[in-house]
Order: sequence, then C-alpha cells, then structure tokens
Amino acid sequence: MIQIDSTPTSPKVYFDEKTHVFLIEGESYPENSFEFYKPVFNWFDEVFPNLDRMELHLKISYMNSSSVKCILDVMTILEEAFEAGKNVRIKWFYEPENSRSLEMAEDFKEDLDLPFEVLS
Amino acid sequence: MEDLLNFKETLNQKGILISFNGSFSNSIIEEIGRAIRTYLQEEKLSGGIISDVFSVYIEQTQNIRNYIELNDMVNTTTGEAVVIIAKKDGYYTISSGNSIKKDDAKELADYLEKLNSLDKKELRIMYKEQLKKPAQPESRSAGLGLIEITRKASEKIQYQFQNQNESFDFFNLFVTVKGGE
Repeated sequence: MIQIDSTPTSPKVYFDEKTHVFLIEGESYPENSFEFYKPVFNWFDEVFPNLDRMELHLKISYMNSSSVKCILDVMTILEEAFEAGKNVRIKWFYEPENSRSLEMAEDFKEDLDLPFEVLS
Repeated sequence: MEDLLNFKETLNQKGILISFNGSFSNSIIEEIGRAIRTYLQEEKLSGGIISDVFSVYIEQTQNIRNYIELNDMVNTTTGEAVVIIAKKDGYYTISSGNSIKKDDAKELADYLEKLNSLDKKELRIMYKEQLKKPAQPESRSAGLGLIEITRKASEKIQYQFQNQNESFDFFNLFVTVKGGE
C-alpha cells in the first residue's frame, strides 16, 4: 500500500491494487528528491517483487534534475523485471503544449527496453 | 531618504522582473518560482520556453540551497544569496550569486569551463552518462543540475568568482534563455 498526496512541488503517488496501476502525477521538484522518492523505492523493494503484472503511469508536468534521476531509477527497476519475464509497461502522459515533457519521454524511451507508450 | 522612483527606473532599465537578496529558504525559492511561471504564462510564451526558464531557475536555486545546507551555512551571512530574473531584447536572464568556499571555487570553475566547451550534442551525452551513475542521496544532487542549465541556455553560460573574504568567494552565474523558438 502506498499513497502520498501531492503538494505544489511533489507529485501524488498511488498504487491501485485492483488495476495494478502505479501512478505518479503532478509536479516533481521537491527540495530533496531522494528523500521524497524513498518510500517509492521501498515499495519497489518490498511489494513489487510479489506482483505478476504492473503498469507505471507517469503524468508529471515538471521534474527537477534529481527527480529525473529518481524516475529513471524506477524505470530501470521495471526494465529489469521485464527482462526477467514480468508483465510490466510504462505509460507516459504529457500535455500537448508541454513539448519538453514529450522530448524527455522520447529520451527515456530510447534507452529503455520495455513496453513504453507516450500519450497526450 | 532613498529615492525609490529612481531605484524603480533602474530596475526597469535593466529589465528586472524579480530580484531577491537574503536568506535563501526553500519556501522563498518556491514562491519566486511560482511567480516566474505565472508571469511567463501571462506573456503567452510557448510551454517549452516557460519550462526552460523555470528549469534553469529551479536548478540554479536548488543547487545554492543544497550547498548552503550541506555546508552548514544556513542562518549565516554566507547563507544569503541573490537571484535576479530579467528580460531584455527577447532574452530571459537568470542570474544568481552565492558564497562558496575558496577550496570549492577552483573545482567549480574547471567544471563550468568544461561544460562551456561542449556543444549541445556532447552535453546530451554527458547528461545521459551522469544519469546512469549510481545515485548519491547524501549529496542531495544527481550531479545533473549544471549540465541541465548549460543545455537549456541559448548562449554560453557566464560566471565569475569575486573575493568575498579570506574563506569565501562570491560565485556569480548568468544564464540566458531565448524567449522564442
């Protein structure tokens, strides 16, 4: 179970146990990204290995550079799980006017080997 | 008595939209960030430009804040910083000034010189390589901020180190982002 409410500088984080969607939604530029994402990494250590399938939905309007690092590390965990045969995928949602978000998604997608959809 | 009209006209001439000088807290950084974004949205700039200016501002100020905290400079004179956002001739300039230890200044100067010597393609490669390095949460930084700033800048970044006292230099950083694509 993970549920973190959004703030002006940090996203909402929620795992839906019915749909197996892990959602990260909002702004992400907390003063200490590693501290903020710690519970997320704990969840991926403890809960994620026991799941047979999972979708990561990212709806992040802006990320500071340390958040980018945290999100890449999360996606890398998914990539490793995918390579080990787990049913996982990433859906990256962006606002059409936010061209930088699209560029970042394409950048990530290029370096990751797992199902990765970019949607507006 | 200070002549505030004269002061205001000086700010206008320099195109200064927002300036802050003082103790650099996280809440101040966030408030100014929101003000900049709102201003840029009202200027009807493209989402990409708004994001670039905001991103340069956030990376610059969070770097400073982290440095102040990690070096126990909070609530000291050296924990004070200056940040100025200005608009002139269609360019936005994000300038910041903060105290850094003389020992760190040399290393930072070398690093900035290296970043300035790279083109956008080389910066992208460097960014991706840095992104793959293991995280070091105790430093609070992913080591990406200045690379990101240099990538977003439309010109070479400008900087100088001024002698502040025997232990500290005052680091000036000027970053320019073009206001149209």
